[in-house]
Amino acid sequence: MKAADFLDMVQAALGKPSRELTEPYGPLDEELDSIRERAAAATERLQRERCELWEQLSGTATKRGWNVCRAAGVEEGLAYICNVASSAEFPRVVRSDQDVFDEMPVDAALGAQGVQTAVMSQSGGSTREELKSAAAMAGVGITGVDYAVAETGSVVLLPRAGVARLVSLAPPSHIAIVRPQELVATLDDLFLLRRLAYYEGDKNMGSYLNFITGPSRTADIEQKIVIGVHGPKEVHLVMLDEERAG
Amino acid sequence: MAEVKTREFIPASRRAVDNPQLQAALKRAGGGFDSARLDAIEELGEERWQELRERARQIKEHTLENLDYYLEMLYNRVTANGGQVHFAADAQEANEIISDLALSRGAKTVTKSKSMVSEEMGLNHSLESMGIRSVETDLGEYIIQLADETPFHIVGPAIHKTKEDVSEVFAEKIDRPGLVEIEDLAEAARETLRDDLLQADMGISGANFLVAETGTLGIVTNEGNGRFCTSSPRIHVALTGMEKVVPSLEDLAVFLRLLPRAATGQRLTSYVSMVSGPRAPTEEDGPEEFHLVIVNNGRSRLLQDEKLRGALSCIRCGACLNICPVYRKVGGHAYGWVYPGPIGAVIDPVLVGLDEAKDLPFASSLCGACREVCPVKINLPHMLLTLRSRLMEGDEESRGKATFMDSTMGHGYRMLMSAPKIMSLARRVGRMTQMAVARKGWIRKLPLPPFDRWTRSRDMKAIPKESFREIWDRELSKEGTPRSREGPKGGRS
Ligand code: SF4
Repeated sequence: MKAADFLDMVQAALGKPSRELTEPYGPLDEELDSIRERAAAATERLQRERCELWEQLSGTATKRGWNVCRAAGVEEGLAYICNVASSAEFPRVVRSDQDVFDEMPVDAALGAQGVQTAVMSQSGGSTREELKSAAAMAGVGITGVDYAVAETGSVVLLPRAGVARLVSLAPPSHIAIVRPQELVATLDDLFLLRRLAYYEGDKNMGSYLNFITGPSRTADIEQKIVIGVHGPKEVHLVMLDEERAG
Repeated sequence: MAEVKTREFIPASRRAVDNPQLQAALKRAGGGFDSARLDAIEELGEERWQELRERARQIKEHTLENLDYYLEMLYNRVTANGGQVHFAADAQEANEIISDLALSRGAKTVTKSKSMVSEEMGLNHSLESMGIRSVETDLGEYIIQLADETPFHIVGPAIHKTKEDVSEVFAEKIDRPGLVEIEDLAEAARETLRDDLLQADMGISGANFLVAETGTLGIVTNEGNGRFCTSSPRIHVALTGMEKVVPSLEDLAVFLRLLPRAATGQRLTSYVSMVSGPRAPTEEDGPEEFHLVIVNNGRSRLLQDEKLRGALSCIRCGACLNICPVYRKVGGHAYGWVYPGPIGAVIDPVLVGLDEAKDLPFASSLCGACREVCPVKINLPHMLLTLRSRLMEGDEESRGKATFMDSTMGHGYRMLMSAPKIMSLARRVGRMTQMAVARKGWIRKLPLPPFDRWTRSRDMKAIPKESFREIWDRELSKEGTPRSREGPKGGRS
């Protein structure tokens, strides 16, 4: 059915004389300046409450099934990651290409343990199929995050060069590294910030926005919860503490 | 379109009530979901929960009143994001759109994540008839597909199956014999489906929410299969009913708090995937093509019906099924179409035709529990009564009249459904009584309670609306359901 015909049909079903709104909807009439102001206020509040929120994240993430590592600095974080990798189902690691790895030299640390790390990025010349099979063979996937939501114990990943979704999805174990600057308090904060990014980014905010809140799970047989049906069975949240958050 | 068996409701209910294994599964299922839901709400706080419900109701009401406007906005935004929007008048057209896409792109294997609309369409069968392999990847849907059944529950499609049943299905259909534990069955599904999830040419997903403002769809899942289906294949097709729109991205904060809590008692599901279009050149992965198929399939009849329009607010959480004494007795298959439980009893008759589904509006004790649990405050009991009134008194939009048995069933339903023995006895008595008093196929007066109550007004010709209103109010107060309609429309910020 043609779009115009379908929309006319819906309008007719509603008995509306025109396509216009019957009453205004506040949020959609909001000026960009007002969105900016609210976002600035939210960011300011986040700064103020960062310590409490960081604690809250640790608690909610644990409840949602993350293994939380409060790493007091890079060394502790790396040690935790090496430990997870060496006890993984398969001793192969894939990671995304994000700036957090400039701070956290995981390749070197894992290499010292004899664990090879592949960077899943097409800029490295690999094809889509090669990347898929690398992800499928890996025991551990390591990523940074774009946001961590204290309210829900979630991390959020956005599409960027160097970030493939399979890294956090295909391997049986996923490690997410989160820094205090990625913290937001609530879902409201998150959607407000993304909405601002949409309008500031010329009505584009990337092709996806993905939440991860604990391990993959199902209760489809006899309502018994089973962890790890298609996605990771084990998820680790490495919270880079102290230095910045303290 | 999926096969419609709504006429079979009474005998199918009877069989369900007499099936001990099904009764055991139902006992386990409803209670489990519902206590998880209550825990999640308690943690959030009752007052906050009520605020969110009211906000959600307002957003949905406003959006539905302006659905043409928001669908147009959505269409423009998805197109601007590089996606293609298709509109389908009915199930057949939606099936054609999807098979055309698959055939023209040379797709041989399609992976599917959960979509209730695809159940309405009978999409798997349609694709398979074109020689395209369609694989359900949600564990529950996968089991159902292998067993060649239909979903039993909108959230847990296979909750009526025991692990022994699933074990048998896996042994027979995917050559994985001897699996005993639920963990092993889930692992077998993980292993078996992994290749398809990675290699399929096309992924088909549903959508829980469509954001008009940004042209984004939100998919709420737990297993991770949805994320595979939307990111790994080179083509992603999202399939959705036209009612799923919300205006603003920020509205999602409300619905993402409500849906998981109401559905499974989760604070948030493991995965929420929001998709705005195909992969951009600067992005690492994702489909080259993104298609959104927006389906009517009878929904415009609900939309134009002011008394029932609110049913389009449904976010398919399943809470009304889990709490419903009738669903908990007869289960999902008895309803005979895609949507069971109180929400199904309201929308199925409109979607498949009231004549086809005369018994469904009576499949409720009017206890009001469904309305209490509904996260978007749909007044399901009121809508069921609206349909009953149309069936019994033939108001202006009636599409058929209730038969004698339908109507008696309506009044005596709660009693009947709560006790199978009484049910069968009542049916026999009903039949005998009918023989004794029916004249030329029409019943003027029944001598015994509770039947006399119905015929007391029934043999009048045209009944003024007030008379039904009286029955209505009496029924509602008797069953302890709040009588007043929702308060006046709240203001919006
Ligand atoms: S009607 Fe309400 S309770 Fe029932 S499935 Fe829909 S949203 Fe959930």
